[in-house]
This record gives sequence, C-alpha cells and structure tokens, in this order.
Amino acid sequence: MRLYEYAIRRLLLMVFVLFGLSLFIFYLTRGLLPPNFAISSYITPRMDDAAKLSVARSMGVATESCPSYSAFVAQQIGCITPLWGQYAGWLKNALTGNWGLTLLPGVSGSDTTWHVFFSRFPYTAELAIAGAILTIVLGIPLGVISATHNNKLPDHISRVISLGGYSVPQFWFGAMLQIVFVLYIRFNGAGLLPGSSALATTCGICFSDPGRITSYSGLPIVDAILSLNFPFFWDSIVALILPAFTLAITSIGAITRIMRSSMMDVLRQDYILLAKSKGLKDRVVIYKHALKNALLPTVTVSGLLAAYLLGGVVIIEIVFSWPGVGNTALVAAEVLDINFLELYVLVTAVIIVLTNLVVDLIYAKLDPRIRY
Amino acid sequence: METNPQSEAVQYGRGADIRHALHLLKRNRIVLAGAIVSVAFVMLALLSGLLVNPSSWNQQNSNVILCWNNPAINWHIINVFNCGGTVYPLGTDLYGRGLLQMIILAIPVDLWIAFEVVASAVIIGVILGGLAAYMGGLVDEIILRVTDIFLAVPGILLAIVLLVVLGRSIPVLTAAVLITWWPFYVRLVRSQVLGEKEKPYVERLHAMGAPGFRILFRHVVPNSIFPVIVQATLDIGAVILTVSALMFIGLTPDPKFPELGNLAKQGIQYLFTAPWLILFPGLTLLFISIGFNLLGDGIRDIFDPRLRR
Repeated sequence: MRLYEYAIRRLLLMVFVLFGLSLFIFYLTRGLLPPNFAISSYITPRMDDAAKLSVARSMGVATESCPSYSAFVAQQIGCITPLWGQYAGWLKNALTGNWGLTLLPGVSGSDTTWHVFFSRFPYTAELAIAGAILTIVLGIPLGVISATHNNKLPDHISRVISLGGYSVPQFWFGAMLQIVFVLYIRFNGAGLLPGSSALATTCGICFSDPGRITSYSGLPIVDAILSLNFPFFWDSIVALILPAFTLAITSIGAITRIMRSSMMDVLRQDYILLAKSKGLKDRVVIYKHALKNALLPTVTVSGLLAAYLLGGVVIIEIVFSWPGVGNTALVAAEVLDINFLELYVLVTAVIIVLTNLVVDLIYAKLDPRIRY
Repeated sequence: METNPQSEAVQYGRGADIRHALHLLKRNRIVLAGAIVSVAFVMLALLSGLLVNPSSWNQQNSNVILCWNNPAINWHIINVFNCGGTVYPLGTDLYGRGLLQMIILAIPVDLWIAFEVVASAVIIGVILGGLAAYMGGLVDEIILRVTDIFLAVPGILLAIVLLVVLGRSIPVLTAAVLITWWPFYVRLVRSQVLGEKEKPYVERLHAMGAPGFRILFRHVVPNSIFPVIVQATLDIGAVILTVSALMFIGLTPDPKFPELGNLAKQGIQYLFTAPWLILFPGLTLLFISIGFNLLGDGIRDIFDPRLRR
C-alpha cells in the first residue's frame, strides 16, 4: 500500500470513529434517561404546556402528532420519536452545520453552540499547545541526559522528576504551585505569578493595563503579536506558565521515562560502538547517531500524548479557572447540554485521530523499514 | 517488525526464578522501597476499619471546623491551636472531622476502586484482545474499530458524562473509569498474543489437536500475560489519580464522602487559609501512586532480561 492510500484509508476510518462516537454520546445523553429528562434543561418553569411541547418537538424528541405535553411526559404511544429517529434528525442538523443553541448558564439564549464553542476553544488550544511544547522541550532532553549519565547524579535527578511527574495528582500539583507562586513568593507587592484566568493583570510581573487586541485567530497570544501589543502578549504568556506546567508535568514524566529507556537501548547497539570506535565525539554519537533512532518510541506515544493533554485540560482549566472549553464541558455535562457535549467530543476526537495519523506518517518518514 | 522483548525472557526453573527475583529485589533498593510503600498502603487499607470507626465520616462537629493544633508545624496563617481537648495530628476539615482519620478511611476506598477497574480491564483485555489476535479477520477488525472509538476521546470526558447521566455513585464511577480504560488492555494483550501465537509450540499444540480456545487461554495468554501484569501494577496509581481527579472536580456521591480527591476538594476554597486540607490528601495520593509505579517498574526491571546488567 502506498503512503497516500494508507492515509486515505485512515481518514475513512476516522469517519467511522466519529460516527460511532456521536452515536455513543447521543445514546448516553438521550437514551439512558426518560425523554422529558433529556429536554428538562431546555424548559423553564414559566413556559406553559404548549411552549414546553414545542420545545420537545423542536428538539426532535416529541412527534408532531403528540396531542399535549402531559401525554409526552406520560410517554404515550406515538408521542415520542424513537431514538434512531432523534439521532437521524440530530445528524442531519449537525452535518448542515446546525449544532443548535446552547444552555450554558451565562450565555445569551440566542448564542449558537458552534459560536460559544469556538470562541472558547482557542484558550484550550493555547493551553494544550503550550503543554505539548513544554513536554517536548523538557521531556526529551531529560530522558537523553538520564540515559547518557546512567546511574550518576543527573540520572538520579531526572528519574526522580520523571517518577514524581507521572505520580503526582495534577489538580493537587496545580494547587501547590498556586500556594507557592501566588501566596509565598511575593514580587512588587503581589504574588509572583497569577493563579487564575487567561489574562493576568494582578501579579508581580504583569502589566496592570495590557490594553486591547484585535481578534484575528482567536488565540490570545497570536492575536497579541499580530496587534503588536506587547503588554497583552506578556500578560498572556505569564498567565499560561502555571497551568501549562501543571498540564505538562505528567507527560514530561512519561516522555522522560520512554526516552531514557529507548536511548539506553540504542546506546547499547553495535553501530553506536562502531561510531565511538571511529573516534567520533560523544556529542556527535549521541545527537547525530543515537537520538534519531531513540526518538521512534517517543513519536509513537505522541498520539496518546495529544489525547492525554486534551483530556487533562478539563482538570487544569477547573483548577486555574481557565476560560476554555474543558471548564465549560463540566458545566455542560451538569446541565446535560447535549449539543455542546457532542460538539466538544467530536472536535476533540477529530484532533486526536488526525494527530495519530500525522504521527504514523512521521513514523514512516523516520523509520524507512516501516511499510504500510 | 521488531520482536517482542518479553518473549526473549530466559526460562528458569520456578524456584531459581523466585530466588533470582528476590536477589535482584534486594539489590535494587528503589524497587524494594516501592514494594514496601505499596504493601504498607494495602495493609493500612485492610486495617483502616479497625483504626478508625468506618461510619465516623458521616459525623459532624461544628466546634472544631478548620482547626489545627499540631505544634510540629506552624502555618503562619491562622494557627488555631485551641481545638478543644483532642489532638488532631493533621488538623480538621470543613465538617470538624480529623483529617488523619478521614485519610485513613479514604485509602481503602481509592485502592478498592483502582483494583476493581484494573482487574476488570485486564479480564476484558485478555478475552477481547486474545480473541482479536487469535481469530484475526472480521473479529479482529470489529474489536479494533470499537477500541478506536474509545481511544479517540479523552477518557475523563466520557467519565464525566456517564457520572452526570447515571448518577454520582461509586459503582457508576468505577464503571465510568473502566469504560475509558479497557481499550488499552485489549490493544496490549492483542499485540502480545500476536507475537506469541507464531511460536512453534503453538503449532505443535495445533498438530496435537488441542482446541483453539484451550490453546489461546491455557497456553498463549499465560505466556504473554507478563507485560499486562506490569502495566496493571503501573495503572493502579494512574486509576487512583483519575478517580480522585473526577471526585475533585465535584463528581462525588456525597460532599462528605471519604475519598482522597474529595477530601482535597474541600481544601481548594481554603487554599490560603487552611492549606493542610489539600496538602495531606494530595501527598497521600502522591505516595500511593509512587509506590505502585516503583513496584511496576521494579517487576519489569527484574523480569526483563534486557535491563539486567
């Protein structure tokens, strides 16, 4: 199979995965509860029965022939659209880009799910990308140092960091960082770093008035650069430090561990011995000969890493009151906002599946022995 | 593709194997520490009902809310040294319960959920992963595609939705975490069995006329289970961290429920006034997790011949 044929096959499988996922989430949110529960969040006490019935109809839960709301609640025969019918209606809407209105508290009733989601998603993306960068920038060197200084002090230190990293409860680590950097380390009459929110204006090293930026991409840091607003850029970066580090701590630990063991495997191989006996410097042997091969196992798990980071943001966003979609998802789950949950799960799944695909293609590039 | 590392394991007699393992265990002090820590937590969990009255978590003592009278640490914050006559080594929580007692009650809860989740995931993984690898074809394809679906979504999100829809209770929590955990084991067992089933002894069993299921579950699976056991040990810590995180974000059956994440949750509002509330449950989680991670690493180090030096 050619590489592009493989990629196409994988993309077709992605459609299947998304279909299965949407079905599963739909079943969870609509199929497991009585129909009137599923729409209960969309109904306000002030509505009369006719209005309630029309809500149930517009959600596709009640049939057009249903005589009254009380008949709907009593689940009279012919009053409730079967689940597959509800799903078909939902799917048709979703495919045409109509993801419905959102129920989230504090959002105006006429705001669409799509708009709410994508106005908050950039904050999550920013956090996840920062977490991924930290993981790569810290995890890989730590693993390499650990392997090249096997059983010496740098190895011990890096192993302790790694073990601590993947053993520490993230929510707790985040709270501890807040205590240390917001409460104990003071600077300019305030805590050194901000403990919450995506734009810091009350911390030791922040600008108190960052001004405004024009929204080009939605990503605050990118927009600040494009708007040439340095205070805003700086404050956004400062606000990102603690959450991104908390998010990355677990994956740093995991990547360090994988990198260490694969590097040690590679360093034991004959071609490394050959390179050394040719008289090459250790640096050259490690970074030119060993690193590329040792990176392979790390590349394989980076697909999992994407899933991990996108799942981890939920906890981090709650601890740091970050205005992203992870924080919103918990609220959406609590009010059973089906529209938001479906969109969130599917967008996340698309990102994870595409990351996995890209990872596999990179893998084929890095290791010429791999054939699909 | 590269060969599976575990399959190269040198075969010893059973007695020699155990003696060798004990020898390596004694030499590797880090692993020994991990084994001691995890065994200690399991013992503490088993004895917790004797150390603390199991129903005391439901009591409330409004006179000693958020007080600290252990002179060993001065928090420089509130420092209420007068909590009545009783000494609370780790302070008291929002409901006036001793935090130490609550942590002791919470350890078996967390450990038990983790054991349930990991054991069920291993069983599902062995059955589905074994079948997928051994039968191949359509069965393999279907099982793989179903795991694809679950691997494409962050587990914590599925768990949140399940807990909200089905109600916040411990059985639902266990099931919710399990739903996000089993696909990894199916994949792991499948890859192990795929490597193992090509070996000559399997062919010989076939030639002898042994039934396929017997070959799979009596011979192939036991020979490829080792990496699964290592992963299961490592996952005890990971499951506890996930469960406590779910509890921490509020998906708890009862705000008073003694679970480490739930205990830590009380502390988030009092981060700067009563730091012990979040500090000690978190530290307990950290130590449990470190213990099982070290133990898992150690089991792998001891039995993986590539790492012997």
